[in-house]
Amino acid sequence: MNKTVTLIFERADGSRTSTEARIGGSVMEAAVLGGVPAIEGECGGCLSCATCHVVAPEGLREVGDDEDAMLEGTVVARRPGSRLACQIPVTAELSGAVFCIPEEP
Amino acid sequence: MTAGRVIIVGAAHAGVQTAQTLRQEGWRGEVILFSGEAGFPYHRPPLSKGLLAGGEAAPVLLKPEGFYDKNGIELRRGTRVCGLDATARRIEAGGDAMGYDHLILATGAGPRRLAGTSAHNIVYLRAFEDALTLRSAISARRRLVIIGGGFIGLEVAAAAAAAGCDVNLVERAPRLLARSVPQEISDFIEARHIGAGVHIHKGVEAFEIEERDQRAIAVHLRGGGSLPCDIVLVGIGSEPDLSLAHMAGLETCLGGIRVDDRMRTSVAGISAVGDCTAFPSALASQYVRVESIQNAVDQGRAAALDLLGKGTPYESVPWFWSHQFDLKLQMAGLPCDGRTLVRGEPGSGKFSVLTLQGDRIRAAYSINATADHMATRQLIAEGALLDPEGAEDATTPLGARRRIAAPAA
Repeated sequence: MNKTVTLIFERADGSRTSTEARIGGSVMEAAVLGGVPAIEGECGGCLSCATCHVVAPEGLREVGDDEDAMLEGTVVARRPGSRLACQIPVTAELSGAVFCIPEEP
Repeated sequence: MTAGRVIIVGAAHAGVQTAQTLRQEGWRGEVILFSGEAGFPYHRPPLSKGLLAGGEAAPVLLKPEGFYDKNGIELRRGTRVCGLDATARRIEAGGDAMGYDHLILATGAGPRRLAGTSAHNIVYLRAFEDALTLRSAISARRRLVIIGGGFIGLEVAAAAAAAGCDVNLVERAPRLLARSVPQEISDFIEARHIGAGVHIHKGVEAFEIEERDQRAIAVHLRGGGSLPCDIVLVGIGSEPDLSLAHMAGLETCLGGIRVDDRMRTSVAGISAVGDCTAFPSALASQYVRVESIQNAVDQGRAAALDLLGKGTPYESVPWFWSHQFDLKLQMAGLPCDGRTLVRGEPGSGKFSVLTLQGDRIRAAYSINATADHMATRQLIAEGALLDPEGAEDATTPLGARRRIAAPAA
């Protein structure tokens, strides 16, 4: 049984970084360890800093109350599908999922 | 200047951020980052929180191991910088001397120590290894005495009590977190700890540690009470590491390295960032020393941008967080005098306390109220005036209570 899956991060210019993500970890952790640009994870994943802003694919867009509040404070304004990557657990089903990195136009 | 050798001393949040921003923003010269620790740089907040609760006994790395090489950052692990000659622009580390064009001190702050004891089971919490010691004591349900009712002490108390340890916490002040939060927040946090079985001893002016075979076996409180213990955690504040600063004759302030609003010290060619600095806060109109991740990261960025000639005055709204049990305390602004306004109902387990000067919010402390926290960070940054009428009502968003600032008379 595979303990990791591959996640894909896409920037506004269309460039992509793919990274191995540990099942059971968070999408933020995978992005930071994969060196994905603009995903900082300053607070280490405890929902306190709003520096792991991604736009999640359909099916992963439901946000909790605290996450919803934190998304009001992201550097790049939130948009439909905005999530904090630290709140998205990595599961086997995420294999190949594409997360977009919101950037100012 | 975009070339030359930058040496950064200290590889926690501030030092690593400085290196990262230098590279991201186009520094072309060498960047050498010294770390006194053997492992790769890691997040420190989990040391007093998640790491103690169990799970994987590994540090949460700040960056992937390959990040440093990939970005041309020469990370020298396990190497202490022990000498500094600011006139010759040279440091000494690991027996070698090395010149620099610019030096960044990110030396942080270390735990204040108890005088007069060298017992082996008295621990301080700063590095990953310290957290491992506490973690194994907690998982073995050791009896824990905590000296100090600040954030470190309370977070460890929460983790230990949740794991079923017998925990006694000793605080000198008449209330917990006395220097950091208003009374209402102290009271709420204390009640939560007591509810979880933590024995809290406040207003303890002195105590004596009884030792046997170089181990603390009990803490005797003046005024009565003896607390038998297997391990003692001391969390009585921290002190900036000024050893290199003194060698360079840097001016100090509030116990930290005095920097200007671009993170420059009093000596040319040396900047300082993070917990070790005292800086002019536009918000407080005075010098302050702030120990937080936000301050470390933002000052790291500011110092790097300054070196690159892209600096702007540093004026971030400080924010901070603490997790204890199911409580998430989030703070914005700096503690200051003023009138307090309680928003929401503490009994509901979700509320905020605002400190106001006039109608301006200066600081905010939110318990399980993230929306208030994010709103107050914004309101404080704007210097917005609050319409206090109805602000206690937590059902209306705080942002909606903003008043357009009247022009100065």
